[in-house]
Amino acid sequence: MKSYTRFVKPVYLVILINLMGFLLLYLYKEPYDNITIFAGLSIIALICLTYALILKLEMGDEYLFLIVSMLMSIGFIMLYRLDKNLALKQIIWLSIGIIMFFACYYAYLKINMWQKFLYFYPVVSYILFIITIVFGGGRRGANNWIAIGRISIQASEIIKVLYIFFLASYYTDPDKLNVCPITIKGLNIKINISRQLIFIALNYIFIGFLFLQRELGTAFLFFGVFIFFLFIFGSRISTLIINAIMACIGVVFSYFYFYHIRVRFQTWINPWSDISNKGYQITQSLFAIGSGGFFGTGLGLGRPDFVPEVHTDFIFSAICEEMGIFGGIAVIFLFFIFAYRGFKVSLMVNETFDRIVALGITLMFALQTFIILGGVIKLIPLTGITLPFISYGGSSLVSGFISLGILQAISKKA
Amino acid sequence: MYEIISTILKYVFTIVIYIFIYTIIRLIYLDIKSMNRRAGLSDRKYPYLKLLNRRDELNFRVDESYVLNGNKTIGRLNKNNFVINDPFLSGSHAEFFSEDEIYYIRDLGSKNGSYINNVRIEPNTAVPLDNGDKIQIGQLTFIFVQDKR
Repeated sequence: MKSYTRFVKPVYLVILINLMGFLLLYLYKEPYDNITIFAGLSIIALICLTYALILKLEMGDEYLFLIVSMLMSIGFIMLYRLDKNLALKQIIWLSIGIIMFFACYYAYLKINMWQKFLYFYPVVSYILFIITIVFGGGRRGANNWIAIGRISIQASEIIKVLYIFFLASYYTDPDKLNVCPITIKGLNIKINISRQLIFIALNYIFIGFLFLQRELGTAFLFFGVFIFFLFIFGSRISTLIINAIMACIGVVFSYFYFYHIRVRFQTWINPWSDISNKGYQITQSLFAIGSGGFFGTGLGLGRPDFVPEVHTDFIFSAICEEMGIFGGIAVIFLFFIFAYRGFKVSLMVNETFDRIVALGITLMFALQTFIILGGVIKLIPLTGITLPFISYGGSSLVSGFISLGILQAISKKA
Repeated sequence: MYEIISTILKYVFTIVIYIFIYTIIRLIYLDIKSMNRRAGLSDRKYPYLKLLNRRDELNFRVDESYVLNGNKTIGRLNKNNFVINDPFLSGSHAEFFSEDEIYYIRDLGSKNGSYINNVRIEPNTAVPLDNGDKIQIGQLTFIFVQDKR
């Protein structure tokens, strides 16, 4: 460890970025607002405190949090520049997230029987889905919010974690999924449904619920994780192919029967034909990315506010505009090394359940990043989903930290 | 004025972020290198302790095997070489050491004692170990494995 001190400690660089960023934001608008400095210092304090605790308590892998704190810092600076009040709200969410990070870390280490609740995860998830459908409110064409008092929570963010646990507990021991042969009275027929079929059906119920709530991004994400798991753990390649074909048929079907999906595809293939209306968001995003150039316009000198929803889904366009293509690539790089670290944790750990959970969490983050970045740069059809740790969104940030806490706990075991 | 600062800082930003990525990748690289060195030690040159308990029945962290390359102490306290958080272990429970290719165990006056093949050994006395000996300390049962060539 001694030889590392020759190099700059990465955490100082995170502090430096925050200091520079918030100082710049302080000077951005007259009259100068002291809250800016306060916000910057509180973010630095939160990051330093968490990092110090991780080192002090020997909580396993320290790089995971470092990478995340860098991503977060970029996100916070951008968010504060876009909308001060949202950023201040996000700081509160960050403190809740960090508390959840430590809580989940200890809960995961102390409770040793997560793999035993195979039925618990899907049941709770379905109940949450039904609650959202019945009581949930709509926002931006998606029906996925549960309002508790003044706070609204996106249930699918919590279900993400439950879904990974469900997959992991199934693949740890597939025999746990009880198969009871169905007997139809009178006809004397016994139908034996294979275990894998039930498992796949349970997965499609997850995706179906998300589809019903019009949360296409998350549905796509779940399906991606599911396909990856089939590829990694599935015994037969034919299951994988059948599922892929089924998905293609599903997409083609929904293209013709659902208007909102057709719009997604049309704006993906040619957003320029309806630039003032349907294609407005994606074209503005492309303009924003393009106008940045290599090093960007400089913080506060671009006009990312032309892009609708720039603070959540489209924050990457704002980063590209004001911090340049190099800034955007840096964000992608950071996600790369984060995913690498996650996979490494998964490879190092001994117990199968931990291994699969680590893999699932990493896949979830990696795919989520791919889906939204791909959407924003018009590589794949745009589906609304947050960029982990960067976008504005309380549920997303807290759920990110819950996953990170679990990953941290697993890295401790490795 | 703000434009000038912002324009300068945008380059600084980019550079700092890339230095950060560089240091992280570098640290990860060093980490992997040291890991390979550690893994190299576990070849069968040294005898090792193999755990017989099922790890999922224990509610604390314990490794599948412990390599005895040199003098090693086992116990609950952090100063030991093998730290195992078994409540039935003493702070410093036992010590393993070797003289002339023969490996010994010495109980360091532990409360619950150490057992070799179900016989409790005297505290603070060196007991030679043979390949296949069963070592019981706390809730744990190890088997001593020494490949003699």
